[in-house]
Amino acid sequence: MTTMTSPARTAGATRAADPNRKQHRSPKAALEWIALHAFAVAAALLFVLPFVFVGLTALMSDSQSLTPDLWPTPFVWHNLVQVWHTPGFPTWWRNTLIYAVLGTTLTLLSSIPVAYALACFRFRGRTVAMMMVIATMMLPPQVAIVPLYLVWAQDFHLTGTLWPLIIPMAFGDAFSIFLLRQFMLTLPREYLEAAKVDGCSDLRALTKIVLPLMKPAIAAVGLFQFFYCWNDYFGPQIYTSENPAAWTLSYGLQTFKSAHHTNWNLTMAATLLVMAPVIIVFFFAQRAFVDGVTLTGVKG
Amino acid sequence: MSTATTNPPAGSSAPKAANQKPSTQLARAGKWARRAPLLPALIFVILMTQLPFLATLVISFMNWNAYYPDERGFAGFDNFKRVFTDVNARQAVVVTILLTLAVVIISLLLGLGIALLLDRKFRGRGIVRTLMITPFLIVPIAAALLWKHALYNPEYGLFNGALKFVFGDNAPQPDWISNNPLWAIIAALVWQWTPFMMLILLAGLQGRPLDVVEAARIDGANGWQIFKSMTLPHLRQYIELSGLLGAIYVVQNFDHVFTITSGGLGTANLPYYIYQTFYTAQDYGRASAAGVVVVVGTIIIATFALRSVFSLFKEESR
Repeated sequence: MTTMTSPARTAGATRAADPNRKQHRSPKAALEWIALHAFAVAAALLFVLPFVFVGLTALMSDSQSLTPDLWPTPFVWHNLVQVWHTPGFPTWWRNTLIYAVLGTTLTLLSSIPVAYALACFRFRGRTVAMMMVIATMMLPPQVAIVPLYLVWAQDFHLTGTLWPLIIPMAFGDAFSIFLLRQFMLTLPREYLEAAKVDGCSDLRALTKIVLPLMKPAIAAVGLFQFFYCWNDYFGPQIYTSENPAAWTLSYGLQTFKSAHHTNWNLTMAATLLVMAPVIIVFFFAQRAFVDGVTLTGVKG
Repeated sequence: MSTATTNPPAGSSAPKAANQKPSTQLARAGKWARRAPLLPALIFVILMTQLPFLATLVISFMNWNAYYPDERGFAGFDNFKRVFTDVNARQAVVVTILLTLAVVIISLLLGLGIALLLDRKFRGRGIVRTLMITPFLIVPIAAALLWKHALYNPEYGLFNGALKFVFGDNAPQPDWISNNPLWAIIAALVWQWTPFMMLILLAGLQGRPLDVVEAARIDGANGWQIFKSMTLPHLRQYIELSGLLGAIYVVQNFDHVFTITSGGLGTANLPYYIYQTFYTAQDYGRASAAGVVVVVGTIIIATFALRSVFSLFKEESR
């Protein structure tokens, strides 16, 4: 709680004080410096500690993981190997990768033209169309689950496979459309006007002019969608639970935990393996993610 | 609607419109020919995203339970009556609102505080920032499992372990989830969403024009005054954006409720209620009716409370 009030009071002092801080460090400034570091470190610890706890527990022996000990003695790296060789785990991993990669690709392919139409065409009903997209974006996926499930289960007989998760991505994703459209609105209109005067079709204008300018937004939307697919739990539970060969990591992890509830260290090792790819992807693409989201949502 | 089509180009392209007058028909035909390849995608997507909602609406007026296939038929408003008189459904509405508000507000405040800290230069800032983001990257179902078992567990959880470490063996060992089920979920969600808020707000802070701040300082403004009348107004749209995105995701939260309490102890939110009605009770009609209620409720809230969404439309006057 203290973290909330103290930076507020000193916020303005931020950068202006920075350059000359080193020259005259009065006792007050020194105290402030210590307080700032203490808060920053405490906040960072608070958010990271559970994560460290996962990492350490994942490397404990079976017997040690149920004690209040924090430091593994000895380090059992074999846990990770053992989890990887659990029946099903490689399959879940592969399924998740298929879902995330195909899902992200299809979402981008289907959402970009729609976003372009909503951003650049002027036609009657455009605002209504946009409202529909936004409304869809804000609704929980559970809202329309009944008819969707019935169609996949009774008409296409595709439950127990990954298809009910992947195919809808080819029909556009409201959130991606919204972010992409907002970004397209920020592009200089003159480019497009010039292209059209020269007789350029919209499809060509999109691929040759708009897309190259949109890399940050596409990266951000792609990341968002990748995370969404990788993390999705509700979809896999509804559509794939009947067939273990089609489970994804998030659903598999839940069952893994039930099966190994006494081997807490193994559950944590599995957790570590599930979240590793997302963390790796994010650290490489952090900039693109932040830039894309803020550029898209906040114009100017 | 009409404002969107007539207003924006008025200033910039009025002269051009006058030029086009003689060949309007031709120009319009040409325009649509150029657009043609992209329009089907738009129409298709709008149809495909809206059809499930239409189907939900239809099913919500039907008597349809998979356990009693013979009784399928038209039900009128029965499903809606049952949803509105169901104590659990009303509870789910309250829980959803509480959960969303609490998580978004607390994580925004925490995120703002941490963003202000990280906006200052100090050694190790990059590392602290990177560490701070980690919770946002954890798969939600894993995060929920982590909170439930590694932190809240009364016997070997980190919280009670820490209590024992600080206060000795007689330390209180509360059962966190049973004592405060809703707050247990809120804390886990705040932990995941604070980094996201922090990330967006930090980007906003770093885009702040510093010369104006410096000028204000020379004029004798103190830190709080600068924060209140310069930083905060500048951050407003970043706060709205992160709050809105956070709210959209927290309203839909299913993983945490499902994992931490399984919807018990009065923590079932609307997504969980629909899931239960659909998946466990197999009552397709009532689940759809609950879905329709959520749609209507969301539209009402969006119209009145989330003005910021619609201000985006007004801004498009370019």
